[in-house]
Amino acid sequence: MIRIAAVGDIHMGPDSQGVLRPAFETLPDCADVLLLAGDLTRHGTPEEARVVAREVKDLGVPVVAVLGNHDHHDEQPDEVTAILQDGGVQVLEGQETVLDCGRGRVGVAGTKGFCGGFAGRNAGEFGEPLMKEFVRYTRRCADGLRTALERLDEQGCDARIALTHFSPVPDTLAGEPLEIYPFLGSYLLAEAIDTAGADLAVHGHAHAGTEHGMTSGGVRVRNVAQPVIGRAFHVYHLQVPERVPTGTPAESAG
Amino acid sequence: MNNLDYRVAHLRERLAGGPLAELGVQVAVHGDSVLVTGTVPSSHCRDEIGRIVGETLTGLTVRCDLVVAEASSPDQAEELA
Repeated sequence: MIRIAAVGDIHMGPDSQGVLRPAFETLPDCADVLLLAGDLTRHGTPEEARVVAREVKDLGVPVVAVLGNHDHHDEQPDEVTAILQDGGVQVLEGQETVLDCGRGRVGVAGTKGFCGGFAGRNAGEFGEPLMKEFVRYTRRCADGLRTALERLDEQGCDARIALTHFSPVPDTLAGEPLEIYPFLGSYLLAEAIDTAGADLAVHGHAHAGTEHGMTSGGVRVRNVAQPVIGRAFHVYHLQVPERVPTGTPAESAG
Repeated sequence: MNNLDYRVAHLRERLAGGPLAELGVQVAVHGDSVLVTGTVPSSHCRDEIGRIVGETLTGLTVRCDLVVAEASSPDQAEELA
């Protein structure tokens, strides 16, 4: 079993330093990894990123993140990423990482993702250049997620997780106004997840949504936006095949 | 400009574009009253939003039912078999 802790939309600023740290310090007792599903800051300023970095530094478990739209607002995503990395956070955008948790090898593929809506009620790559670029940007994010998940498959992970900020499915948006669903996620992310395969998809962004959902391909989706889960983080126990101890006949036969 | 719909739209823009960068708050009009709901990261944010809403929607009855995000550890994990 691999224990996945996750939270998104913590929206930290200078006045929130230390608010989440006491809960985060309990992570080594209950989780093998902490996933941060974007919108870690309010405006994406370096000052706010430093608050986040200090909040998660030296927690005793690996921390893997994607950025959210708020983390882009100040138009310094590379600086925000660098500050988080200095704090020990792995920040993914069309990338993947493999963590050996002792209980199993867990692969995390991440992208911020973007919007566009869900199958049958989605924006199309048509018309004005801005509209086409809007959809193409989402498609690039989804392609990055798919290829990262495929690379994880080649690396023999016990479990693969898709980490995004925007939602891949409408299920976890229930509670949000229907009219804004197209701004909350895209089916292209779910298609990428179902094409490459994953054991769990985790996202944030939809503060008024619900926690539980599933892709058309049967991958479980969890909206971990802090207002949704109502905690500093939630923990998911993923069942994986038991590891065979070194030196046993099963291993030597392989 | 007295149309309430536009005033609420401008309020939402002010909340998003201001120092709080708050996009997660719902503002619903009920007759002559306005209900503000949602979860915000700190009591400072909650108080500031209440102040801005009152300032922007003068003359209306405003009820701010905002809550501050819970920062405690979870009681249990979800088993994904």
